[in-house]
Amino acid sequence: MTTRTFKTLLFALSGGLVLTMASVSSVQAEMRTWTSADGKTLQADFVGTAGAGANAVVKLKLADGSVTSYPIAKLSEADRLFVKGNLPTDPAALAAEIDKLVLNKLKESYYGLRDELAALPQKTDLTADEKVKRKEEIEKEMQMCIPNEMTTDNQFLRRIYLDIAGRIPTFDEAEAFLNERAPDKRAILINDLLDSEGFVMRMYTYYADILRIREGITMMGNGDLKVDPYMEFIKQSIREDKPYDALVRELLTAKGKVWENPAVGYLISDQGMRLCNLSNTFTIFMGTEITCAQCHDHPFEEVYQMDFYKMAAFMGTTDTRARGGNAMMMMGSGDYRAEIDRMNKVLFDAGKLRPNQTVDQNLGQWFGTHRTQVVELENNVVKLPHDYKYDDGEPEMKVQPGTYFGDKTDLSQHESPREAFAEWVVSPGNPRFTINVVNRFWKIAFGLAQIEPVYNIPGHLDGQAQNYELLTFLEEMMKDLDFSVKDFFRVIYNTKAYQREAETLTPSLTQVDKGTYHFPGPILRRMTAEQIWDSLVALTTADPESVIRRGAEEYRQVMNVDPASLQTAEQILQWKEDFRNVSKLQKYSGEIVSREDTVDGVQMFRASELRQPMRPDHFLRMFGQSDKQLIENQFTTGSAPQVMALLNGTITNAVLTSPDAYLIKEIAFGKGSKRDNIDKIFLSVLSRYPTSEEKSVAQSGMRARTDRDMSEAQKLEAEALAIGNVIWALVNTREFMFIQ
Amino acid sequence: MKDSLNRLDQLSRRQFVARTAKTALGVSILPIGGANRLLAAGGGKAEHCIFFYMSGGMTHMETFDPKPGAETGGKTTGISTGVAGVELAEYMPQLAKRFNDIAVVRSMTQKTGDHRGGAYWMRTSYEPRATIIHPSMGPWAQTLLGKKHDTLPDSVVIGGGGEHPGAGFFGPALAPLPIGDPDKGVQNSAPYQGVSEDLFEKRLELMNTFDESFRRKFQTDEVKAYTQFYEETLKLMKSEDLATFDLSLEDKYEEKVARYGNTRVGKGAMLAKRLVSSGVRFIEVVSGGWDMHNDLWDAIPTTGGQLDQALSSLIDDLKAEGLFEKTLIVLGTEFGRTPVINANGGRDHHPRVFSTMFAGGGIRGGQVYGASDAKGIAVKENPVEAKDFNATIAHAMGLDLNKVIYAPSGRPFLVAGHTRDPKTDAIVTEGHPIMELFS
Repeated sequence: MTTRTFKTLLFALSGGLVLTMASVSSVQAEMRTWTSADGKTLQADFVGTAGAGANAVVKLKLADGSVTSYPIAKLSEADRLFVKGNLPTDPAALAAEIDKLVLNKLKESYYGLRDELAALPQKTDLTADEKVKRKEEIEKEMQMCIPNEMTTDNQFLRRIYLDIAGRIPTFDEAEAFLNERAPDKRAILINDLLDSEGFVMRMYTYYADILRIREGITMMGNGDLKVDPYMEFIKQSIREDKPYDALVRELLTAKGKVWENPAVGYLISDQGMRLCNLSNTFTIFMGTEITCAQCHDHPFEEVYQMDFYKMAAFMGTTDTRARGGNAMMMMGSGDYRAEIDRMNKVLFDAGKLRPNQTVDQNLGQWFGTHRTQVVELENNVVKLPHDYKYDDGEPEMKVQPGTYFGDKTDLSQHESPREAFAEWVVSPGNPRFTINVVNRFWKIAFGLAQIEPVYNIPGHLDGQAQNYELLTFLEEMMKDLDFSVKDFFRVIYNTKAYQREAETLTPSLTQVDKGTYHFPGPILRRMTAEQIWDSLVALTTADPESVIRRGAEEYRQVMNVDPASLQTAEQILQWKEDFRNVSKLQKYSGEIVSREDTVDGVQMFRASELRQPMRPDHFLRMFGQSDKQLIENQFTTGSAPQVMALLNGTITNAVLTSPDAYLIKEIAFGKGSKRDNIDKIFLSVLSRYPTSEEKSVAQSGMRARTDRDMSEAQKLEAEALAIGNVIWALVNTREFMFIQ
Repeated sequence: MKDSLNRLDQLSRRQFVARTAKTALGVSILPIGGANRLLAAGGGKAEHCIFFYMSGGMTHMETFDPKPGAETGGKTTGISTGVAGVELAEYMPQLAKRFNDIAVVRSMTQKTGDHRGGAYWMRTSYEPRATIIHPSMGPWAQTLLGKKHDTLPDSVVIGGGGEHPGAGFFGPALAPLPIGDPDKGVQNSAPYQGVSEDLFEKRLELMNTFDESFRRKFQTDEVKAYTQFYEETLKLMKSEDLATFDLSLEDKYEEKVARYGNTRVGKGAMLAKRLVSSGVRFIEVVSGGWDMHNDLWDAIPTTGGQLDQALSSLIDDLKAEGLFEKTLIVLGTEFGRTPVINANGGRDHHPRVFSTMFAGGGIRGGQVYGASDAKGIAVKENPVEAKDFNATIAHAMGLDLNKVIYAPSGRPFLVAGHTRDPKTDAIVTEGHPIMELFS
């Protein structure tokens, strides 16, 4: 893995810098002095590490050439740090450790339930009816303590594509994997998918839902401020596997305009709602719901209203709007108002305004978006509310920034309170930062988090019934992996726990609430709206990721124009045209995708590249795409409009099933394969071949439609229709819509 | 206390899940009814509500509050209502004739001048927040009164689009059914063009065969719920209920279109009336074109005229069918428009004062409530805020203004905004109905 080599290299380099180049070789020749936590020393060469978590050991080569193992936990702080940079990031080893912890908990839980069952008849505090009910519950929960079978290659293939790339595999991808003979083909596929553009798009949708990234991001806006640079920034961060903690720090500390420093998009999203933004930051990055404390002490967590305002004060010198005249415009030399007036006059004189108009409203509004930027203020503006009623403060009193859990912060060490806050959020001393992200990522893979709901992690974890050992292991692992999102998922997806079949029973609400579902396998879940849509896209092309949305660079150029360069009416109108055309869909070849580039009138491109969010009557919204107004506001519950869209809509009746449809023309009729049409369609839609019974049912439909007297062309047409029926039926199955 | 609140939270989550699992047309199939309408003080007569939402900010001075002669009045003249001293703007001639059936509020005032924020206040009584979405009135009525009809949805939004708070924290199960184009009815409700009944049945058979082993293996609640959705939807496709949404089946369709106007708002009103006749409780008709920054007097005869025509025909038909007294008609918008006419012959956003209208459902017609000043700039008497506007709707429909409903996050909310009673510290309504409007 790249992280490891890089870190080793970095270690060698920094050593070299201190000791000069000449001495580098002597460092390598000399043995390292190791110190244990209780002060003993030992001369030995670093060989490597083995095991993971609490059982991890360092392997050391002694002067006599023998290799010995020593528990990492018993090393001195300095040595632990040294080793940390060299910990095994071998996903298989870490995955095995996770599997052990999952199995332990399943076993422990099973025995606990068995004992409870045995003791049930003697229990005096339950009525006979209650005992019967409890017995059923226990038996069902015991069922869920037995690890499920391992997935077949077909099941694994479909699920791993959906989880990592956000869609089902295409026909070619499915066939390639199933025909592959390599024993480690699952691990290989996981690696390939994590490096694919599909992963970027899938994770983008995940982030965009929690960060609420939408077109026209401001509260006041009618879409005047474009956020393409922010969208591209998030995608690029995923693509290059920017460490998660670094990403969060950038989002919290960015300054300036969105086209200059795209990470400001996070704060701008909650423009003018400083306190809401703080609540959101806690929810998103620390799994802590503190909104209540904005108005009163939290009713059932240890969060006081004063805590809320002390935390808010960290953001009290930050604003999302530059104020004051032309200074903030920072473009060209001219006076901003005068320039707008001049341009209006040019348009008027040239007869380019509507009759009776003297002002082009868009010009002022669009140039005005320069005001939307994240700036630092001189004074802290956060005060207690006017109706503050507790005796630790007066209404309207100014509040000093302060943390209510984790480390204390020292403001003098930071450029601004916000910098101090960001540092505190991502610091190792913050007990909720890492646990939040591993809990959330676990949910992506397993369909259910260790702690539900993910936005409300209790302050004291060990008192709960969750798998505490596993959670802390994941937390440490994330830190050891230096917050590499790809590496974290690489480990998770390589576990047996993940690669088991989905659970066939529904965990009870009590199990979900208490965290006592211990993952005999991932849970069965409906695809997200984006997974459904993107899977449909994958049924219309060999390359579902070939079209990408672009616009950041164009937007930067348009916004940074020198108004003095816009002299003629043509230049001004061209600028407006450029502004409108910033967001565009582009193919690999660089070709711009036109509005007419559709399949039967539908733009079949990945959801992450389309409008954010789509309009309320679009297929995506119907199936639960988030409106991006609230954190994770997507849903996966059903409705009649969804069913009607699948039964009677354009997608199932034309896009996928017309005689010209990709699946029929290119896959069923076009592919040279020893498989027949029905096989190819089943593999495309459900990632598996049909059973013999399914095949004969499908074929009977085909036979009924062809007859001897038909010409070849007519037969082909009849067969196309019959295949269309099979596709329609398969897309309408629950098997299609749920992730096993 | 902490424990009991926790339990409440879990209970509501459980109820929420139960509700979600039993959803048909975007709305649940829970038992009908539940709570009784409150019939106090003239309220509670409105079994239905048709809410006309004028999107963009309806000019008050060219509709319900003309100021002919004032320097801000523009070229708009007044038209007599038959009530001494009360005129409507010239663009509302039909409503002026029916003034005895309507009540006008001229002292609305709003907190914000941005479209989104203003619309949000009007539909929910709450300020927009980035941490919660408050429900709109239709889902509130369903929550407080129970479902009205066993298969039809409780709330429908016609011609919406853009951002609507919908069911807010009540969840998607209570979301109003969206109808984009009144002429097209429910999206995808009929088999695709060229798909015969035979073919449709054949395909369903294939679907069930292919899906059999999966459904046998995974008998989870979610999978079963989806299978139930398929069954409910197929029933719905064959049921009379769908015909309710098919405007072309309306008696004397051509004559009615001519009367209501062959316009979005006209057909929206027609469909709303049809839905009311079938038992739908809350229908919002959204009509745009009111953001008149430019050339206001070019646009107002059309936009205003279409509204006048649609509302008047609706009042006539509801009366003819005996539905007027049990159907509240409300007209709202996010804000008014500036009395000062701008350089482009238009008016800009003006939240300080604007007008709304009520009719039917227990409202005493022929009256004006509140007033703006002589230039139409500010409220002169009896200010009415969004929460009072919604409290008036709630009162007319018999909703309990003080019934606390907890969001899944545990936060308490009321139908017309909430505040704390300074004496008892109890959570009480912040909005108050305009009692003068009721007979």
